[in-house]
Amino acid sequence: MPAFLSAYDFLLVSMVLAAVLALSLYVPLMAGQLSLASPGFYALGGYIAAIMSTRVFPVTGGLYSVWLVLLEMVVAALASAILGLIVGVPALRLRGIFLALATIAFVEILRVVALNLTVTGGAIGIFGVPQPFGTQIQYMWVGLPLLGLCMLFVARLERCRAGRALVALREDELAADAMGVNPTRYKVLAFTVSAIIAGVVGAISAHFINTWNSRQGTFDTGVSLMAFVLIGGSRTFVGPVVGGLVLTALPEVLRGLADLGGLPAWFAQFLRDGRLIIFGVLIALGTVFFPHGLITPAVLRRFARRGGGKP
Amino acid sequence: METLTCRFGGVVAVSAVSFAVGQGEVFGLIGPNGAGKTTLFNLVTGLTTPTAGRLRYQGHDITGLPPHRIAALGIARTFQNVRLFGELSALDNVMIARHVRTHSGLMSGVLGLPSARAEEHVTRQRAMDLLDLVGLADRPDEQARNFSYGDQRRLEIARALALEPQLLLLDEPAAGMNTGEKRALSELIRGVRTRLELTILLIEHHVPLVMDLCDRIAVLNFGQLIALGPPAAVRKNPAVIEAYLGDEA
Repeated sequence: MPAFLSAYDFLLVSMVLAAVLALSLYVPLMAGQLSLASPGFYALGGYIAAIMSTRVFPVTGGLYSVWLVLLEMVVAALASAILGLIVGVPALRLRGIFLALATIAFVEILRVVALNLTVTGGAIGIFGVPQPFGTQIQYMWVGLPLLGLCMLFVARLERCRAGRALVALREDELAADAMGVNPTRYKVLAFTVSAIIAGVVGAISAHFINTWNSRQGTFDTGVSLMAFVLIGGSRTFVGPVVGGLVLTALPEVLRGLADLGGLPAWFAQFLRDGRLIIFGVLIALGTVFFPHGLITPAVLRRFARRGGGKP
Repeated sequence: METLTCRFGGVVAVSAVSFAVGQGEVFGLIGPNGAGKTTLFNLVTGLTTPTAGRLRYQGHDITGLPPHRIAALGIARTFQNVRLFGELSALDNVMIARHVRTHSGLMSGVLGLPSARAEEHVTRQRAMDLLDLVGLADRPDEQARNFSYGDQRRLEIARALALEPQLLLLDEPAAGMNTGEKRALSELIRGVRTRLELTILLIEHHVPLVMDLCDRIAVLNFGQLIALGPPAAVRKNPAVIEAYLGDEA
């Protein structure tokens, strides 16, 4: 077990963080809003952590304080919430594909801004982000509680008044409005929650991958997140979590397959590098054959019945 | 409402229609297809903004308010082409409409604070009572879209009642129901009206039901109000007979 953990430390932590990011995409989707803004807030959170840890609280030798990492996460959450509100109020007047496009534009704007500012290190970015842990697997001390908290949050959200308002908007915005649910208010709420989650993941990720630049949190990330949610399942929080975990591990599994040998060279190459192509194809096939993803509330109920041993 | 007009491009859907509905009244709205009845409902509930005219409700000017604000003031409706939250359970459909009568926020709900839990309990109880009222209490967990058409209409009424409205707008509640169901619906509407002290605005094509239920009836044709009065008088009005009732009356 320790050997497995240290061999796959980077992958395992990446899986957990991906699952949290997938939840960030899922929350607006509860209200029927496909927002691809999460990578933007993820990038923002990362820059905040990278700047704070290299400029504000620089360390010389030794480990960086975990408490400071937590502080960075709080700052990232606040900044993301504020930016989320500023962007969300106008953006959520748009519907469907137009919202998706506007949020892609938002991510792109942030990327170009980061690329051209001095404080973000321009094209080079910020490297040498200090490490709070001696080994990578120890990032689980932050990653796992974060995933647990976010899962708990979204699971509870699905069962309370605010969550019901979101789902009502997804099902029929006009009817929800006529039943007293303020559409703008709840869409902005979902968007802001999504921004906070993404920002917090960004903050811890900057330490985890040790460097942060404008290639983090781009449209590519958005496509991956969309694959996590749409394939995992968009009708229960379990879907994006499983989607994030499994689909993050998938490229490694495919690489393992490619290295087994005996495969044509082009196919092995495809298995190694075709991650986004495979995700794209999965999204296309998934939306046709499993419009609500693989894990739906109905699947969970069947699972619970069998597992619980009830008649 | 006063001289309400609603135009869509060049089409005048509702033209300078004015009438007042008294508290506790069951007010029928009839007329041929395309007469502007549903448009009138959309105007009252804020789904459509009038081109001209004012809407007054309990002394307040509600013209131009967004639908959720109007709902919060106590005006609830059902839809001609049933608009339930199809994938959600019957119970959830009704619980959602308790929104304006409950107040727990995001954090208190997520954290499960005592106040939110107590409220959640009451919400569930009230929703079950309403399902019971419309005769659907035996399958609260079934998805709304799996219900028969008639049951969906009754579920929509339960959902509208969950808002605790003073004014209830029913858009063709009997459509798709058989004779027995129509009679039961009639009883239901009469029952909730007295029990909950409701004012009801009713669009319905089934003339016997309208004549039987309503205190007064307004007849629309091509967006214009052509008659207004108690059922007996409207039934004899020659303009109404020509435009709508025909031999049926």
